[in-house]
Amino acid sequence: MKDEWLQRVLDELAQAWAVAIKDVRVYYLTAPMIMFGLLLPFFLFFSFSIKREVGAEVGIARLLALTTFFTASSAGPVIIPMERRTGTYDRLLAAPMSRITLLLGKTLVGAFFATMVSLVPLVVGLLFLQVTVADAGLLAICVVLASLAFSAFGLVFGSMPTSSATAVGSIMMPSTLVRWPLLFISGVFVPLTEMAPAAQMAAYLSPLTYAQDLMNHAVLGDGYLNRWLDLALLVVLLATFLLLAAWMHRRSRRLGY
Amino acid sequence: MTYAIEVENLTKVYGRPESGVLAVDHVSFEVRQGEVFGFLGPNGAGKTTTQRILTTLLDPTGGRVVIHGHDLARDAYPVKRRTGLVPEESNVYTELTAWDNLMFTARLYLVPRAERAARARGLLETFGLAEQRDVKVVNFSKGMRRRLSIAMAIIHRPTLLFLDEPTPGLDAQSTHAIRDLVRQMNVEGATIFLTTHQIEEANQMCDRVAIINHGQIAAIDTPERLKAAFSRVQSVEVALEPRERSEPSQEWGNALSALPGVKTVVKLGDKWRLYTDDPAALLPLLMRHAEGHGLRVVSLSTLLPSLEDVFLEITGQQVGTVHHETRGDGPRRRRAGGE
Repeated sequence: MKDEWLQRVLDELAQAWAVAIKDVRVYYLTAPMIMFGLLLPFFLFFSFSIKREVGAEVGIARLLALTTFFTASSAGPVIIPMERRTGTYDRLLAAPMSRITLLLGKTLVGAFFATMVSLVPLVVGLLFLQVTVADAGLLAICVVLASLAFSAFGLVFGSMPTSSATAVGSIMMPSTLVRWPLLFISGVFVPLTEMAPAAQMAAYLSPLTYAQDLMNHAVLGDGYLNRWLDLALLVVLLATFLLLAAWMHRRSRRLGY
Repeated sequence: MTYAIEVENLTKVYGRPESGVLAVDHVSFEVRQGEVFGFLGPNGAGKTTTQRILTTLLDPTGGRVVIHGHDLARDAYPVKRRTGLVPEESNVYTELTAWDNLMFTARLYLVPRAERAARARGLLETFGLAEQRDVKVVNFSKGMRRRLSIAMAIIHRPTLLFLDEPTPGLDAQSTHAIRDLVRQMNVEGATIFLTTHQIEEANQMCDRVAIINHGQIAAIDTPERLKAAFSRVQSVEVALEPRERSEPSQEWGNALSALPGVKTVVKLGDKWRLYTDDPAALLPLLMRHAEGHGLRVVSLSTLLPSLEDVFLEITGQQVGTVHHETRGDGPRRRRAGGE
């Protein structure tokens, strides 16, 4: 019985991995992924950082938080509606794996894209801007964990009960409407230490705040909140977003989408 | 009797149960182990909805489904491992090659690593895609995509295969390959659930046929018994020509439909088909009518109902609004203004 259970877990992990690898191969060069996942975070960074006196380390920590947030959370709202339209999502739903396994596979895709994109500013910073990283191990954990959490966040939008005919743009719209306010209330552009108490309370509502704070711990060696609290909250957010996406899938199946 | 599928009071409402659209209305049926079961109905009848519930893509609003002895609501995993699904649209990954599509599906269905390549090669051979194994599917024709879609659905050797409208719009070669494969799988013991609105396909391939209309099962039986049961759609087919040289008249149809016992008259090329409850009584009347109107009977035959006749009768659609038709293996008819 125990062996059977263990085999099932291993099987499901292998299936999640197969879904992730397939998605990386199929979707890495699609226009919405390039636009929303690759270009947008860099545009945002330069829009808000040019002509402001920001140190290289602070800039890198900020850019890493932005890329993980936007790149990872773009995969779900792009890939799932595209697969629903082509009918390939049914292939995944009918396969012998749980919804959580499927969503885990999809989460890995967004996290993979985000991690890869994050490497670009990091490598540029390390090689050309003499950026020093206070805790490389923590930075690696932070980038991967934040990417996973934000990828799962994107899946929540991709899992909304909508018709299979719904266009990618119609899913991107609500996801953008939510992501942008979360960006502006977070501690990315205005550090938590400089915020008024009311703004600080609002910042705690944004998942990006904890990723930014953890990036600050990793790159600058100093953050506002406890690093363990940041880590724990990102894990909790990852699990919460996955469960929420799974619940939305169940609701879709009941409503008939 | 061993059943592959048992469906009891299956109901599906799209949207909220209290205000949604009823698509499947308390449907009950069984599919026997090892049979080819046709699920026949017009568009919007509830065929695909039923099939999506049976393949766990939708939750029913009510009722119960048991497949291979497992209640689908509680224990879908063992069912999914033994089930293959070929949806109406060929859902293949166009950015991947045929080979990569097959290998991905094999991994998804947990085909043992050592067997994946051999099975994929065998299926590519079977479906005539071996030479295109490394070609991206975006370059495939519709028929090739369909064949690949079916190969992906059976790479894990399912014992129950769902096919949703497998052949419409395909070339003869692809249609032939698909029908052959279904027969072969069935011979090897697989149960086939074929959803179709093509009556001739159901007639040729199915052991039993369920006719669904407006979300309810109208009849279930073998194609032959369904036809026999509907004696009221028997018909007499007659070809007439004038004894003296003149063009055949469209007015003949009105005169024939006025004959006692004739329910409907349909013109089929150079022939007329007269639907009646009693062909034997109609034959002498028809002969007398021809004699009296200076017509010669070129050919005359009585016909049992086709499955299409039965289907139209059951689903309440009118026969007789026909202008012409083509002839194949059995009688066919195209309704004016219909789909």
